[in-house]
Amino acid sequence: MTKKQPEQQILHDNKKIIPFLSIIIPGSSQIIFKKPWRGFSIFIFLLISGYLVYWGFEKFEISKVQLNENNFIPWLILPLFLFYAWNIFDAFQISKNKKSPAIIAILSVMVILYTIGWSVTGVKLERLVTRFTDAKSVMNKLVNPDFFSTTINGKIEICSWGCLWDYSVAKINGSETTEVFLSSNVGQIFGQKGTVTASSWAVLFGKATKNQRIPGFETGKIIETIAIGLLATLFSTVLAVPVSFLAAHNIMKRIPGGSVVYYIVRTFLNIVRAIDTVVWGLIIIVWVGLGSFAGVIALTIHSIAALGKLFSEEIEHIDAGPVEAIEATGGNFYQIIRYAVIPQVIPSFLSYTLLRWDINMRSATVIGFVAGGGIGFFVLETIRMGGYQQYAAALWAIAVVIILVDYISSKWRFNILKDQPKFVEKKSTWKKVRNIIYVILAIIVFLYCWEITKIDLSKLFDPGPTFGRLLKDFISIDLTGKVIDNVLRELIITTMQAFLATTLGGILAIPFSFLAAKNLTGKSKFSSWIFYLVRSLFNILRSIEALLYVAIFVYWVGIGPFAGMLALAITTFALMGKLFSEAIENIDSGPIEAVSATGANKLQAIVYSVVPQIVPPFLSYLIYQWDINIRMATIIGFAGGGGIGLMLSTFFGSLQYHKAGTVIVAIVIIIAVMDFSSAKIREKFI
Amino acid sequence: MLKIENLCKTYPNGTQALNGVSFEVEEGEFLAVIGLSGSGKSTLLRCINRLIEPTSGKIIWNDLDITAATGKEIRFIRRQIGMIFQQFNLVKRSSVSTNVLSGRLGYVPTIPSLFHVFSKDDHERVKKTLDMVGLADKIDVRADSLSGGQQQRVGIARALMQEPKMILADEPVASLDPVLAHSILKYLEKLNKDYGMTVICSLHFLDLVHRYATRAIALNEGRLVFEGLPKEIDDAQFKHIYGKEAERIEII
Ligand SMILES: Nc1ncnc2c1ncn2[C@@H]1O[C@H](COP(=O)(O)OP(=O)(O)OP(=O)(O)O)[C@@H](O)[C@H]1O
Ligand SMILES: [Mg+2]
Repeated sequence: MTKKQPEQQILHDNKKIIPFLSIIIPGSSQIIFKKPWRGFSIFIFLLISGYLVYWGFEKFEISKVQLNENNFIPWLILPLFLFYAWNIFDAFQISKNKKSPAIIAILSVMVILYTIGWSVTGVKLERLVTRFTDAKSVMNKLVNPDFFSTTINGKIEICSWGCLWDYSVAKINGSETTEVFLSSNVGQIFGQKGTVTASSWAVLFGKATKNQRIPGFETGKIIETIAIGLLATLFSTVLAVPVSFLAAHNIMKRIPGGSVVYYIVRTFLNIVRAIDTVVWGLIIIVWVGLGSFAGVIALTIHSIAALGKLFSEEIEHIDAGPVEAIEATGGNFYQIIRYAVIPQVIPSFLSYTLLRWDINMRSATVIGFVAGGGIGFFVLETIRMGGYQQYAAALWAIAVVIILVDYISSKWRFNILKDQPKFVEKKSTWKKVRNIIYVILAIIVFLYCWEITKIDLSKLFDPGPTFGRLLKDFISIDLTGKVIDNVLRELIITTMQAFLATTLGGILAIPFSFLAAKNLTGKSKFSSWIFYLVRSLFNILRSIEALLYVAIFVYWVGIGPFAGMLALAITTFALMGKLFSEAIENIDSGPIEAVSATGANKLQAIVYSVVPQIVPPFLSYLIYQWDINIRMATIIGFAGGGGIGLMLSTFFGSLQYHKAGTVIVAIVIIIAVMDFSSAKIREKFI
Repeated sequence: MLKIENLCKTYPNGTQALNGVSFEVEEGEFLAVIGLSGSGKSTLLRCINRLIEPTSGKIIWNDLDITAATGKEIRFIRRQIGMIFQQFNLVKRSSVSTNVLSGRLGYVPTIPSLFHVFSKDDHERVKKTLDMVGLADKIDVRADSLSGGQQQRVGIARALMQEPKMILADEPVASLDPVLAHSILKYLEKLNKDYGMTVICSLHFLDLVHRYATRAIALNEGRLVFEGLPKEIDDAQFKHIYGKEAERIEII
């Protein structure tokens, strides 16, 4: 206490002078006035927006206006200056213990970010209209997927809904009609008879020789995708468990040198996690070659890091009481883990595994874009050949699978987390038999997945020819000015894509989310129809990864960052719509009643009783989505969506590994910075 | 005999929880530890079995220097000292039998124990101790389906599995209602009287101290401010222990 008093005295004496400091260093007097967070934000945001204005003007002549004959300036200097002036005003207000409207600062930063973001992501709204005919034709193809075919004039043609209808009518009426059959496309997606490479079992039992092509059942691409997701989840869970103990502080501090291990493992997990699964795919194919196996490895690596982090946090949050009790009985380190830690974490581990299974299934649908296995590869092929109706069929198949997985996973998680104490009854014989059947089934499924994803562990020890070079080049990454310049440009574009997509998708989701909230839609037949319609729209849109949407927008608005941004906005719209509507359903109904009781109409009730309750959850979901989008934006370029992903795939494609290394380091840094700042913002506001 | 000499504990954040505490406990005593919240009772008890590292001072138990023990020796000492906790500290999702069995961990070899393999003897012992605390029928249920009083009895059973020579109880009844408090303390009294176990027990209510303890010590801000028979705690002593503002309230 005694130490603080002179300091306070100084603060008091100089109350009139301190605000002037913010003229020289923005934010500094706010920091001196004990508002470090405010001051720091002002400083950082002013620095960033200042740099962006300069950068945008230099590189893209953004917001260029003519001052006089040969002087040009960006008009964005105006909001920048407004922000700066506000900072000084704010400092004086604080010295007088008054508040200043932060909205000015927020608006000026928004103007700068939007103007720059708009230009660098190449937003061309008019294209949404002028090229609407293209959009219409692609939409037409999307709603008429290639599932059935028929023969018209001796040629095989796709038979979509209208043709199917005619066919069914004709069948029912018993009149003559040409036959309708499943398209070959369906065979490729779900599986068909054909020639396959002899399985290792056939080789084992002497029925075939290695690599021999024999008649058999070709695995469907969607089945392959499911197998990739399942195996990756299994492998990553098994591997993440030991890793998570190394990354849990309360465990590691018990053993000598453990804290060092803890910090190393944590950092390592964060780096691995910052690199998206698809980017891992690029690295892994250099190691083991193209195919499902590469996909499994890429998913497993990313998944180990993600699960390792979640698991270790779960371990750190266990009840310390039992640990203390077991320690007091004289139990050693391993016994403490076995009897006090593991029983506590099992339900949450299981639930995270199921959550991760859901995420892995989604990743498995796109990993084929780079790794060459599963439905992603098939989608890429159809897009290349312009087969949008085949592409549509694949999307529908994906939607069905993912919606199913989502449902099963959340149902199981719900049951696990209820975790009600069961009286441990004697198991009936039937239950024992049933459990044995389950185990056998699981083993069969596992072996089948192993077989169709062509897992070949020996490949791990026999890396591809350029893998050595990749490792070497990754250590000596390219830091020459030109490369840094380009990477920085793509990084800004990528961040802006994520920023625009999050805000655009989020804003679009708000009105729809009200339509999908059961407690607001009311009980009439019409409104419950709307409810189901909007909810299904959210669920279907949400089941398709952003990367798969890019193709549609590339067709519509052309290749580039704008298409990528729109694809991100669609997934944002879907997820935010779902989460927002659930948040609305969870609000306290008391205030609605109270406001309605005053005679207010529905809209008034919403504005006065619902809105104040939903702002905090909406904001927190938006930040969550921002974390997702910044990651997705780094890969959206693989499908023609612009940004840093395009650059990365180009560098990989041309074997310029040390430049690729630079890009990856840049991605890790930007994700780390964004994660850190969103965590801070969440802490501060929500 | 347990001898505490000049025990000090300063936490890493600078809190001085124990400040030169010295006292002795004879074998077979029921010693109550009293003091305000934050006076250092839990810290003291946890120093005795080295769950907390004392900063300085000595703890001698039957000529064995607990403060000097390392690794294996500490575990050897701990298994002879049973501990009972305010929050019971059971593994909620494990069955009662697993919780009780875990009291044997200091005795059994590591590898089998990691696979939940215990000897027949140990399983028999679980039944016997659960019988003793009146929970024989609850052996297979999950710990969190029991009531608070039952959970604390499982806690006692776990401690008994250690065949302890001494029991440390850190406010064992503070989370229970008064009636259950007596039933739990009666078990401790029984262990003390019938089996001759030394009991060191921190308590909040003076009437419980009067009823069960054979001797009492009091802490105030980490210092020993009283040592003697429970009945010696009169109003003057009470003010000394709990501060001038304190009023005596009687509960049951
Ligand atoms: N792990 C710790 N780190 C820092 N300070 C601690 C820690 N544990 C306890 N303390 C502090 O040490 C002092 C003594 O705490 P202790 O828990 O021993 O008191 P107590 O008498 O058991 O109190 P209560 O009746 O509330 O259980 C308190 O001031 C407490 O805040
Ligand atoms: Mg305590």
